[in-house]
Amino acid sequence: MAANFWTSTHYKQLLDQEEVDVVQQLDRDRGITLEDFKLVKMHISNYITRMAHLVKVRQRVVATAITYMRRVYIRKSLTEFDPRLVALTSLYLAAKAEESTVQARLLVFYIKKIYPDDIRYRFDIKDILEMEMKILEALNYYLVVFHPYRSLTQFLQDAGMMDLMQFTWGIVNDTYKMDLILIHPPHLIALACIYIASVSKDKDSVAWFEELRVDMNVVKNISMDILDFYDGMKNNIEERVNVIFSKLPSRS
Amino acid sequence: MAELDNLITKKVADRYLKREVLGEGTYGVVYKAIDTKTNQTVAIKKIRLGKQKEGVNFTALREIKLLKELTDPNIIALIDAFPHKGNLHLVFEFMESDLEAVIRDRNIVLSPADTKSYLQMTLKALAFCHKKWVLHRDMKPNNLLLAADGQLKLGDFGLARIFGSPDRRFTHQVFARWYRAPELLFGTKQYGPAVDIWGAACVFAELLLRRPFLQGSSDIDQLGKIFAAFGTPKPAQWPDMIYLPDYVEYQYVPAPPLRTLFPMASDDALDLLSKMFAYDPKARISAQQALEHRYFTSHPTATNPASLPRPPQKGDSNSKVPEFNPNEGPTVLSPPRKLRRVMPNRSDGGEENIHNAEKLDDHVSGSRLTAGASSSRNDTIPMSIDFSVFGSRPPPRPTINSADRTHLKRKLDLEFQMPE
Repeated sequence: MAANFWTSTHYKQLLDQEEVDVVQQLDRDRGITLEDFKLVKMHISNYITRMAHLVKVRQRVVATAITYMRRVYIRKSLTEFDPRLVALTSLYLAAKAEESTVQARLLVFYIKKIYPDDIRYRFDIKDILEMEMKILEALNYYLVVFHPYRSLTQFLQDAGMMDLMQFTWGIVNDTYKMDLILIHPPHLIALACIYIASVSKDKDSVAWFEELRVDMNVVKNISMDILDFYDGMKNNIEERVNVIFSKLPSRS
Repeated sequence: MAELDNLITKKVADRYLKREVLGEGTYGVVYKAIDTKTNQTVAIKKIRLGKQKEGVNFTALREIKLLKELTDPNIIALIDAFPHKGNLHLVFEFMESDLEAVIRDRNIVLSPADTKSYLQMTLKALAFCHKKWVLHRDMKPNNLLLAADGQLKLGDFGLARIFGSPDRRFTHQVFARWYRAPELLFGTKQYGPAVDIWGAACVFAELLLRRPFLQGSSDIDQLGKIFAAFGTPKPAQWPDMIYLPDYVEYQYVPAPPLRTLFPMASDDALDLLSKMFAYDPKARISAQQALEHRYFTSHPTATNPASLPRPPQKGDSNSKVPEFNPNEGPTVLSPPRKLRRVMPNRSDGGEENIHNAEKLDDHVSGSRLTAGASSSRNDTIPMSIDFSVFGSRPPPRPTINSADRTHLKRKLDLEFQMPE
């Protein structure tokens, strides 16, 4: 973990789970439940990841984009901020902020490719650029985000478990389907992922963890949250999300 | 959650009373305004949206991103940002002048204590940036702004970057040439805070000489000027030099004694200067070390910022952007900033190059606005994307999808019987 995390705006903005799990009134009026809300955010995270693969940006950009999207929905409703447009724009903005610009027209081009018939996903450049300004405002212009990836490498090296790299990296990617990045310091998320990986691959890491001087209760709780999330993964996400989307205002 | 409340009530453009235009900034018009909430004078940058349909200007976004993280008395404060009529506006604290204006003003006498004070504030700003892993990459006197209370504040973070990962490759096309470190001139793509120290050293020298120290007319000439001042570096002095991408051998010139170049400087000043001008970036003094150098504790004590000499107020219109009047005696001007930043003909820079291209566009549109000159530049940005891959992938799969999740969970829980 870079030494400056503790003085960063990211650290100052960390929230409690209860603060994150709030469905905006406008959405509740439309019958959106907390579970629906989480599911939409997960679906949108997947969508961001998928778009990011097409336009070829680093994992860091994907992670930042998802973080922006999740931060937006702390303050804004799904009703006012169309999640499909927020997804695209978060990716567009994150790419810029992480110094690997992706052109808006390229995103528009790929949406047409992958959703040739579904107009609900179709946006043009103008929509993205308008939303960019709104997202900046919703983020209160805080754009620097820290991620677990860098500390992950350092930890695994230190623990002599570099062979777990790929597996753990995958778990870290999965944590972005949840709100963990809004709640916990990234290095604790990394540790939780390492913990899960080491236990599932039968590596004895207890001694190493004990020497770390971190609050293992927190690490344990994060690990459990992640496993709970895996437990809750259902196959018919697409269907359920479509049902939720039908509750949201339709685009003209 | 005071911040959330804050967010709802502010962001109304009528919070600010618009005053006169101060000048044309890097990416748009800058005007003076009064913040009715605080009664503070502020400078508002209206960010022109690019013609490229690329949304919020990339340089502006960098500045926003970094300044939101950097709160320090010696760094310009970004007070607010808001969209208005489709444009993004950035609100900065108002700065009366800049160090270039001070250095150039022949009516101002800079005592050794004044120079020390300016350098100290510059190094404090850099030490803070570097502690936060931010490289400024555009050190020069007119980016060192002076507040009404005499405080020097580092401004213009449009070229700045976070340098967290040591292996990331950066462009070497940064800094105005006269302030560019030798490793950048030799084309290094992996560099660190030492580049800012070199730039600060050039500012230090400029304060002592009252003119830019190393005024190269090209990159090659710049290195020539550096070597003429400090001698051609020997391999022992800078072992990595010969491996740099654009390294070329220069004819050997010995170093003249530093004292001959700065006859008026104290021994301590010269010692610090030589450490800031060390050839090997690894051996160059850091901002924090420089602040602890005995130059800052030895006599004379640095002047209190409020007592520093400053250029006379030219009525109400004294702005950060100094006016160029060719009749005002020997004026030393930096070369026009854009030209030094942009290398439109380079094609090997990858992503950084696209950004440079954006900057170039800014410049073109800017000069069109001011000079009315027409430009026939074609604005297409080179694509770095491989269009051959259209195959869309299935949504990302979770990493753990086997049936033994519950088993794993039980196991995890058991393992955590550790006493706190």
